[in-house]
Amino acid sequence: MNRAFRRTMAIAHKEVLHIIRDARSVYMALGLPVVMLMLFGYGISQDVDHIPLSVADEDRTPASRRLSEGLVAAADFVRVEDLPSADDAEAAFRSGRAKAVLAIPRGYGRDLGRGLPAVAQLLVDGSDGTTATIAMGDAAGLVQATSSGRAARASLTEGPRVRARFNPGMRSAYNMVSGVIVLILAMVASLLASLTIAREWERGSMEQLFATPVSRVEIVVGKLIPYTGLGFVQTLLVLTLGSYMFDVPIRGSPVTLFVSSTLFLLAMLGTGLAASIIAKSQLVAVQFAMLVSYMPVAMLSGFMFPIENMPAWLRGLSMVVPGRYYLTTLRGVLLKGNGLDVLAGDVLALAFFAVATLALAVWRFRRRLS
Amino acid sequence: MKVLVILQSLLNVIKKELSQTMRDRRMLSTLIISPVLQLVVFGYAIDLDVDRIPTVICDQDGTPRSRELAQAFFADRTFLHSGDVLEPGAAQADLEDGSAAAAVIIPRGFALLVARSDAPEVQVLVDGTDATRAQVAANAASQFLLTQGIGTEPNVQPRAAGASLAFRVMYNERLKTPVYMLPGVLATLLLNVTALVTAMGLARERESGTLEQILVTPIRPSVLLAGKCLPYILFGLVDILAILLLGNLIFDVPFRGSFGVIALGSFLYLFSTLGIGIFIASFSASQQQAMLGAFGFMLPAMLLSGFMSPISSMPPWLRPFTMLIPMRHYVEIMRACLLKGAGTGDLAQQMIALAVLGVGILAISVARFRKRLT
Repeated sequence: MNRAFRRTMAIAHKEVLHIIRDARSVYMALGLPVVMLMLFGYGISQDVDHIPLSVADEDRTPASRRLSEGLVAAADFVRVEDLPSADDAEAAFRSGRAKAVLAIPRGYGRDLGRGLPAVAQLLVDGSDGTTATIAMGDAAGLVQATSSGRAARASLTEGPRVRARFNPGMRSAYNMVSGVIVLILAMVASLLASLTIAREWERGSMEQLFATPVSRVEIVVGKLIPYTGLGFVQTLLVLTLGSYMFDVPIRGSPVTLFVSSTLFLLAMLGTGLAASIIAKSQLVAVQFAMLVSYMPVAMLSGFMFPIENMPAWLRGLSMVVPGRYYLTTLRGVLLKGNGLDVLAGDVLALAFFAVATLALAVWRFRRRLS
Repeated sequence: MKVLVILQSLLNVIKKELSQTMRDRRMLSTLIISPVLQLVVFGYAIDLDVDRIPTVICDQDGTPRSRELAQAFFADRTFLHSGDVLEPGAAQADLEDGSAAAAVIIPRGFALLVARSDAPEVQVLVDGTDATRAQVAANAASQFLLTQGIGTEPNVQPRAAGASLAFRVMYNERLKTPVYMLPGVLATLLLNVTALVTAMGLARERESGTLEQILVTPIRPSVLLAGKCLPYILFGLVDILAILLLGNLIFDVPFRGSFGVIALGSFLYLFSTLGIGIFIASFSASQQQAMLGAFGFMLPAMLLSGFMSPISSMPPWLRPFTMLIPMRHYVEIMRACLLKGAGTGDLAQQMIALAVLGVGILAISVARFRKRLT
């Protein structure tokens, strides 16, 4: 037992040397989470605004100007150009200059003055669906507000009736920090691990390892330890930056956070190692790891795309994506203050994946040269 | 004569690279099958239309009028009835353990207030941990409550008169997500097939020392790089065709523009991504560094390309940087060409930007690579 431990530690030590000697890789592995967090936090807001709007005002009355100015003043729209007629909308969309065109027909002001229904048209560019949806929502609220005082009050008082629990400002940063942790851990852990064993095969140093009494389990566990450490540093980094820059709280128990992070890391490292063992070439191993760990976590964990909306077969597939359970525990611990009592199922699922992927790696690992 | 020799050596390098890639069946499936597979999963997963939000009802009023309201709440599929509770506290508990993402609380005396044309308070709680869904749920709920006239005196405002705005969505009338996301997904997958694979492939040659061996042959370094890259342009084009075809068949992504525009844009894009791959390889001493470098570029590029969140809503200081991302221009070209039928005239700006980036990146990286080798 003692000897097995020593051998495992020797492998771990060798791997640590590998990591430390390649300082540039360490910088990149630690820099990438920071860059991602900054981009997600400051650059990529899920709150769409500054929508480029062109106005085709064929009416040219005070009423029509009030409508177009009101739409722009709401700050969600930026007026980029004026079009002589609504027929020019297509050209503006095709070149990408505008995402929305407000077309006010002749007679709009006259009808409004007479108390008749006056209809202006908002054309939106459906090739950017996110912007299109938001543009229509904003414009609808605004026109209601400008057309009659009563409706304006109604849309202003909606605030207190609908409240977001746990995340009162509905800030995307809260959602984002937990998502970035999952994404970054999945990526760096599985991709880095996917290189380790394939590298030994490629360079021929695996033969040397086999000449020593080190067993398969010892190699796998030895390789695991340093990368788990690196993963912890990354998790801490993103959590610290997240709470410092975006005020993301940690309301639940740190122990649950620690346990689930460890299990998720192990599952991702296990996936990477299994990919590495099966592929035997670094290039293919990276692609394998990306396909089975990083991509599913990005697409099916519920971070970017809500799982409930997926078709049944994808919802089924998402059940075997460890990132899904980790994301639930992260959101639970950080935002809701949940403890193990609520999250036990997710933590158990993570434990299962950690054991299963590592077992797969060890099982597929042949101590023989082909 | 000299041109012929160069051409011959170029063909030889291409042949070597192709046979090396084709021999490894796993590599081939990485380059062709995996992008297609990812597209299909992605296409189904990115259906961003939030609906079927599990909702718990807490009807403290228990009158026909309140039941009617609760029923109407689920009329469209935005909300899904997940259960009933008696106390607001229980509704909160459901939100906390995640069994519901929204809760509607109808207070005691609701029907009475409605009958008196008074303003009853109906409370909707949404789980804010998922901001996107929360936003949709909140909007849908307040829209619903507005149309039900709750909180304001109902039926005072004549509907016909006054200004109204008619909406028309162009090019993608039902606002289907896969239709406008496909160009971005395509650009990401191509980035993987070209930039990551070339960066790691070149780093591998350097690791194993085969690059130096080839350099003692009369093949010029630039010919060697060109020969190594051209096969990947070929794989990239095969991927584009396969993905556009599948996108059209499965997700109804239209193909309204001309084939020439797509081909031109794709060529220019692939040149720039290959340039990025060579650029990263010229900095990397090992495959690990090349892999991390490639991801260090790919992930930010994906976020800044505007395919997930619009560039116009990024902060002003960040927007100029997006001009440097080839993906941004390619996504714009593909969206405009596939969905809007735009031609080269409409897309001149994006094409020029892509050409400048492609030639620039490729020239810098080839120069760097040459210096490293000699």
